[in-house]
Amino acid sequence: MNSASLIGLDEPTEWEKFSHVVSDANHEWESHVVVEGMHCAACAINVEKALKSVKGVTNAEVNATSKRARITWSSDITKPSAWMEALDVAGYPALPANEIFNLDARRKSQRLMLWRLLVAGFCMMQVMMYAYPSYIASVGDMTMDIKNLLRWASWLLTLPVMFFSASPFLSNALHDIKKRQMSMDLPVALGIVITFLVSTAATFEPNGWWGSEVYFDSLTMFVFFLLTGRWLELRMRNRTSGALDVLMRRLPSSVERIQSDGSIERVAVSRLKLGDVVRVLPGEAFPADGVILSGETRADEALLTGESKPVPKMLGQQVIAGSYNLMAPVHMSVDQLGAETRYAQIVNLMERASVEKPRLALLADRIAQPFLWFVLVAAFGSAIVLWSGDHGRALMVAVSVLIVTCPCALSLATPAAMITISGALARRGVLVRRMQALEALTKIDTVVFDKTGTLSQEGMSIGQIRVKEGFDMNQALNIAAAMASHSLHPVSQALVIAYQKLHGETHAAPLTQVKELSGAGLIAESEFGALKLGSARFCDLAQPSGEASSVHLVSESGWIASFDIEEAAKADAVSSLHDLQAAGYEVVLLSGDSQPAVTSFAKKVGIQNMHGNCTPQDKLTFLQKLQHAGHQVLMVGDGLNDGPTLAMANVSVAMGQGVPLAQAQSDFVVLNNQVSMILILILQAKRTMRIIKQNLIWAFAYNIVCVPLAIAGLLPAWLAGLGMALSSLLVVGNALRLSSLPNEIAREV
Amino acid sequence: MDILFLLIPLSVILVLVILGGLWWAIYSGQFEDIETEGERILHED
Repeated sequence: MNSASLIGLDEPTEWEKFSHVVSDANHEWESHVVVEGMHCAACAINVEKALKSVKGVTNAEVNATSKRARITWSSDITKPSAWMEALDVAGYPALPANEIFNLDARRKSQRLMLWRLLVAGFCMMQVMMYAYPSYIASVGDMTMDIKNLLRWASWLLTLPVMFFSASPFLSNALHDIKKRQMSMDLPVALGIVITFLVSTAATFEPNGWWGSEVYFDSLTMFVFFLLTGRWLELRMRNRTSGALDVLMRRLPSSVERIQSDGSIERVAVSRLKLGDVVRVLPGEAFPADGVILSGETRADEALLTGESKPVPKMLGQQVIAGSYNLMAPVHMSVDQLGAETRYAQIVNLMERASVEKPRLALLADRIAQPFLWFVLVAAFGSAIVLWSGDHGRALMVAVSVLIVTCPCALSLATPAAMITISGALARRGVLVRRMQALEALTKIDTVVFDKTGTLSQEGMSIGQIRVKEGFDMNQALNIAAAMASHSLHPVSQALVIAYQKLHGETHAAPLTQVKELSGAGLIAESEFGALKLGSARFCDLAQPSGEASSVHLVSESGWIASFDIEEAAKADAVSSLHDLQAAGYEVVLLSGDSQPAVTSFAKKVGIQNMHGNCTPQDKLTFLQKLQHAGHQVLMVGDGLNDGPTLAMANVSVAMGQGVPLAQAQSDFVVLNNQVSMILILILQAKRTMRIIKQNLIWAFAYNIVCVPLAIAGLLPAWLAGLGMALSSLLVVGNALRLSSLPNEIAREV
Repeated sequence: MDILFLLIPLSVILVLVILGGLWWAIYSGQFEDIETEGERILHED
């Protein structure tokens, strides 16, 4: 960032957007910036040092996790441009954090949650100590005075737990009662309140009908376990949703625009217009789709295309909004903005998919509601049955029933797994468009591939090579490749690549005066005389009647060699299709291309069952026939030309980076173009369903076992609380296993 | 055992004091970035 662009920040109206006054006396301000280029905790320390070395900066705090810095500075001595430049020089360019107020609210709620948890935890320990003597004392050991003293102390320390730590449960429950709806907090709150009332009454009036037992230890422990459970759950969820979150919050808030007079001005991304030219610094995200106008760099497109390696970006190449500029500052034109960008489409897709509930989750939700009513009735019933004995005890049994049931495990079981897997898949370049499809994917037995763009690559490859008697095939290829290296035609590039695959670098064959006759072929001089490389017509050969198209190499003395041109299969197509077939899936190839071309391609990638010359109608009929025969079909297409077929199949996957995401009719979109993702996807879907089933079984089993135990009075309230907290943690933790996708396809079908 | 009548109220007060300490720790951001502080010692000033 050059200093000219920073001067703009020295206007008080500008810096007020990301700063606020700390003290009026010395004009002290506190500013928040997002620091780019930090990778670890050590970076944070460097950033702090750089900031503190600026005169007038009184304090600087940098958070390595949130990548944000808080800077206190005096407007009498320094200006934002001064310390921003210091950061620049240190190698950590910063951007004003305009959304800081948003972030503040989130931090506040997180702190409050931790504070509630710690209050509950600490009071719990102390209450436990006060309760301990009465557990070990034999009758007569403790005088009534001491007993009362301990109870009063317990009661006192229970107050903060009850009215501060547990207040979210209580207020949620109140809210639900007012709205006349059932929620999971209601039984919990009821349990807490009953325990507190019974114990308080027993403390101050031990001779009432409620009995003389106090349960402060159970109460504080229960609240603590519950809060711990929710706290851990929140952290786990934050971690998994991280991948999606990172993707969704990628665009920078401001960017450097090049003015018509060549000067640079920093403007908000929302103020960019089509046709603007912007400068993107290393570490910044590209704000829009566009083309590089000057400079070259590498871009990190991992979350958008699944390409894990940095992608080189030369002059004139496309960059996509939301990808990161890694190496050098570049100028780019703004061709697509906002909702039009591929980035916005991806985010949109993900948002839509994440609110959709899969069938299993709906089922669990339907069960959870009546289940909660059942819990209330069971608690009430057991209290009534036991009422004739010790009233206090009867109430506590009811409390245990209220607390031990864990409907949250039931309703968390599916969504936790689904969110985790879609985050994990997104990191690998697969977008889930329809959550339901994960379930359908597990029942698939046939995989139908479209050819073009799905299994085949853009560009050509060289197939069979025929040479004149007595001429070496490698030599022919070498000459052809050497000639072709002077041309950018796809066929020429295929020749060069074919040679490089065999021999590494292209050997400079002794050629002179290589010339490309546009649209026809290449000519050159060599030891064999004048050479021609091109189509049959260009080389004055009779048009061969053969199946595949080819290029020919001829010299003055006649034909030397012919190279058949084929569509290139994707690098991982052969092995992936083999893996799919080995895993027991029937693989079919459908294509609109001519039968011979399809046959040779199918042979190359190892598919026996293929059909060429298919019109879209033919493909539909074929699919219907398969489905009538009882097959569950997964259709893999490029998402452009086979919309109807994709819609017809039981599950569909669109492949390829060219897919206009908004129109793609598929359940999944594979952004990184790898055929191997198909099998990974199927395996992961199976794994996901397995984990969801485990979760549901656990949730059911836990409730079926624990509710009767509680009704029978065998579970004290604290144990019930522990059980409930552990149960929901177990479910979330189990789902979390999905967040790591195996790098290689594990043989775990 | 009369000393308990002094010690137990004292322990309650102690708990409240410690809670005050925790409150300070949370709201001064002690738990927000746990990694940076650990590495600070490795960097000479």
